[in-house]
Amino acid sequence: MASAAAGKGKSPADAAESSAASATRLAREWSTWAMKKAKVVAHYGFIPLVVLVGMRSEPRPSLAQLLSPV
Amino acid sequence: MGSAASASAPPPPPPVQPHGAAPPYGVGLAGILPPKPDGDEKKEEKVDYLNLPCPVAYEEIQREALMSLKPELFEGLRFDFTKMLSQKFALSHSVLMGSLEVPSQSADVIKVPTAQYEFGANFIDLPQLMLIGRLMTDGRLNARVKCDLTENLALKVNAQLTSEPHYSQGMFNFDYKGTDYRAQFQIGNNAFYGANYIQSVTPNLSMGTEIFWLGQQRKSGIGFNSRYNTDKMVGTLQVASTGIVALSYVQKVSEKVSLATDFMYNHMSRDVTSSVGYDYILRQCRLRGKIDSNGVVAAYLEERLNMGVNFLLSAEIDHAKKNYKFGFGMTVGE
Repeated sequence: MASAAAGKGKSPADAAESSAASATRLAREWSTWAMKKAKVVAHYGFIPLVVLVGMRSEPRPSLAQLLSPV
Repeated sequence: MGSAASASAPPPPPPVQPHGAAPPYGVGLAGILPPKPDGDEKKEEKVDYLNLPCPVAYEEIQREALMSLKPELFEGLRFDFTKMLSQKFALSHSVLMGSLEVPSQSADVIKVPTAQYEFGANFIDLPQLMLIGRLMTDGRLNARVKCDLTENLALKVNAQLTSEPHYSQGMFNFDYKGTDYRAQFQIGNNAFYGANYIQSVTPNLSMGTEIFWLGQQRKSGIGFNSRYNTDKMVGTLQVASTGIVALSYVQKVSEKVSLATDFMYNHMSRDVTSSVGYDYILRQCRLRGKIDSNGVVAAYLEERLNMGVNFLLSAEIDHAKKNYKFGFGMTVGE
């Protein structure tokens, strides 16, 4: 009984502590997931982004100018 | 008669002021006081310590020495083609066929023959935004972004992204430029945090300090540097708690010639390296040569054949390690 009471007394405290710890753990996991996705987006999308920004700047070059080697 | 005539003769009138020269003092005094020579005026100019120029950025204090002593030496054939689509936007294609050195533990030099093609896109719209991207055939992307968030605050991002996991690197820098100081805060991958600050102390001298923290290896460091420059010379000193002391000195001998020397001491590995080099910037070419304390002799020539066409020759000779690197190439486009 004492041990059961002790067990019951410990588990809410344990649960409270582990919820804080698990919150930081979840935050770290989600931020790692977000960084991984951001890295993939940057890896595939950076050059197209630069080309897009360049094609839309004044004076606007034409698509033929972009693709021709001269 | 004679004495009366000489006594009554009036003194000669003061010499007429030359045309175009404004009298430094009021017109009445100009005839009496001699004009001040220019040298005295410069010496008397008091240094206005509240109005010092903005210093060079912390990571660029050695830029003159690096430009002269560390050209991009390469081995093999290099061909660069840059096509300007507009004033701000350019595409570039670059081919390199040659050997790349692989770092090895033994004293031998291991070279791996490689061929790579690199596609690049630049959008340069100073001062607001600058985007530079380079993509290689092995999937590596080298991206640099510089963006002015406000007049004084700039954001710089520098990233090397690879297809292999855990090899990518990125660094975000926030730069704040004040009237006579610059402050920078850096965040990098592997939990790297750094900050640095540089301040102009006199019109010629600027001093700075930096501190960084490396999260993954739990290392931190602090460093100091200072830069003294006049019109003819630049001298820099860097000391860091990682045990590195670096000095450099560049003297501009004339408009076309500058000489540079550099000294680095690494306390941890007891390594001392010093190099001396020259940089000739002539009308049609730029020639840089240097010799090292390890016995390495290097030279780099960029010759302008025509408008927009440059011919490159690069050589690096290391007799001690039997490492000979010769390269040639061509750069077409601006």
